[in-house]
Amino acid sequence: MISIEQPIIQMQGVEKVYGGYSPALKGVDLEISKGEFVFLTGPSGSGKSTLLKLLFCAERPTGGSIVVDDMDLSTLSGSQIPYLRRKVGVIFQDFKLLPNYTVFDNVALSLEVLGLTRKQVEKRVTAIIESVGLLEKINRLAVQLSGGEQQRVAIARAVVNRPPIILADEPTGNLDRARTTEVVELMNELNARGTTIIFATHDETLFTNTHRRVLTLREGILERDQKG
Amino acid sequence: MIPGTFFKRALRDLKQNLFTHLMTTGVVAFSCLLFVIFGLFSFNLQQFVEKFGRELAVVVYLKKDVSQEKIPSLYKRINALDGVESVEFISSEDAYRELQAFLKDEKEILEGVDPLFLPPSFQVEINRAVFNIDKVKKIAEIMSQWPEVAKVQYGQEWVDRLEAISQVTRNIVIIAGVLLLLTATFVVSNTIKLTVYARQEEIEIMRLVGATNGFIQGPFLIEAFFQGFIGASFAILVSWLLYRYLAESVSATPLLKDMDLHFLPMEYVGGVLAVSTLFCVLGTYIALRRFLKS
Ligand SMILES: Nc1ncnc2c1ncn2[C@@H]1O[C@H](COP(=O)(O)OP(=O)(O)OP(=O)(O)O)[C@@H](O)[C@H]1O
Ligand SMILES: [Mg+2]
Repeated sequence: MISIEQPIIQMQGVEKVYGGYSPALKGVDLEISKGEFVFLTGPSGSGKSTLLKLLFCAERPTGGSIVVDDMDLSTLSGSQIPYLRRKVGVIFQDFKLLPNYTVFDNVALSLEVLGLTRKQVEKRVTAIIESVGLLEKINRLAVQLSGGEQQRVAIARAVVNRPPIILADEPTGNLDRARTTEVVELMNELNARGTTIIFATHDETLFTNTHRRVLTLREGILERDQKG
Repeated sequence: MIPGTFFKRALRDLKQNLFTHLMTTGVVAFSCLLFVIFGLFSFNLQQFVEKFGRELAVVVYLKKDVSQEKIPSLYKRINALDGVESVEFISSEDAYRELQAFLKDEKEILEGVDPLFLPPSFQVEINRAVFNIDKVKKIAEIMSQWPEVAKVQYGQEWVDRLEAISQVTRNIVIIAGVLLLLTATFVVSNTIKLTVYARQEEIEIMRLVGATNGFIQGPFLIEAFFQGFIGASFAILVSWLLYRYLAESVSATPLLKDMDLHFLPMEYVGGVLAVSTLFCVLGTYIALRRFLKS
């Protein structure tokens, strides 16, 4: 057990204004320790996706400071961004799969960018696809899959390179109960192995009976921080 | 980075965007083809002018009052000039005999004519290795200033005229080449931009999963390399076939038999290949660079 809690994510006075609109995030202060499993909730449009996007530099904050795994995102140069993203696996709300790539190739992309050999890539990709239950569809094109299947491919791609941090944006939005439970189990497993997880969801049933920390956003403000 | 992955990705992309790639390669091939054909034309014209010039002998006519004793020293002076290959003295009598032989049956015309009426001359042959028109002009000029020399002739009107034509076509080829290069730049860079835009989503996703710019650019640059190389090779092949066809037609035509055609020298062919390839790779690199910055 880690006795001294090391923060892996630190946000201070973070503000995000999308040009000309009212701010999507206002004065967010937040610290997440290594190995934590945090739920992020709040109504639609409250800023959940925006907060996650700031953590892997898909968007830059308009104010405040962000540090992720000792990388100061306010001074991070463009050429450093890829190295940040290799530490942060992201499951996107809209999947962001390549429709004309096979399931295998979509997942393999995460490892190919690291420069792994073909053999290593094949072994790890096949294993992860099996664990999300899509082995028989490994050579299908992503466009030929159902929404739930695509979501699972997106999950496989985010975790295949074993990043220390996983950001999941509604990863169960398109799944039925049984599949949802499976995904939560998978996240629990990863978390048990030390991965820090931020799990954004509307679905309160996912965290009501757990002892997980829950962050609630409302209109861009971090309204509640309920420690687990 | 592993080149194997790059090639695999380039190949997969080639299959998926076959039409765009064929189009780009086609544009490259067409530009190169025009350039090579212009070059072929200009090069052959230049060769022709040079060959024609080389076959011209320089004839130095002496004044009639030049005494026989001066001939050997003149001979030596001409022979010592830079670029002179050989010198032959043709006396008035020799010239008269040649004229007689030329006239054959009609040699009666010459009856009663003084066999010495033709001026003695030197037939000067210029060294082929150093041959160029300017050199011939210079030699001619030097000799025409000697007091014993009446006139120096080397068919300069012809040489000058051909020179001028060759100069003009060379300029046209250069101007056309520059214009062509500009158009090709425009078309090729736009096709490249289209290819890049068509794959915007793919590039975006690669960046999101942590691809470096180098990783993204790799396959694009490999594709560009092959587009430039294959396009230029195709153009060279087509122009070579065209050249073979023309060369055969020329040698089959009695009037043109002596005009042997040449294909472009290896350096020119290599230059077209290198420039085309470099151009495509560089163009792609710049198009991507701009794209990846945003
Ligand atoms: N690219 C953008 N340009 C302008 N405004 C944006 C952009 N992205 C998000 N917003 C705005 O910022 C606010 C927060 O959006 P965000 O996507 O973070 O909400 P969310 O909590 O993820 O919502 P949901 O639960 O529906 O996914 C919204 O008002 C949204 O309209
Ligand atoms: Mg969202």
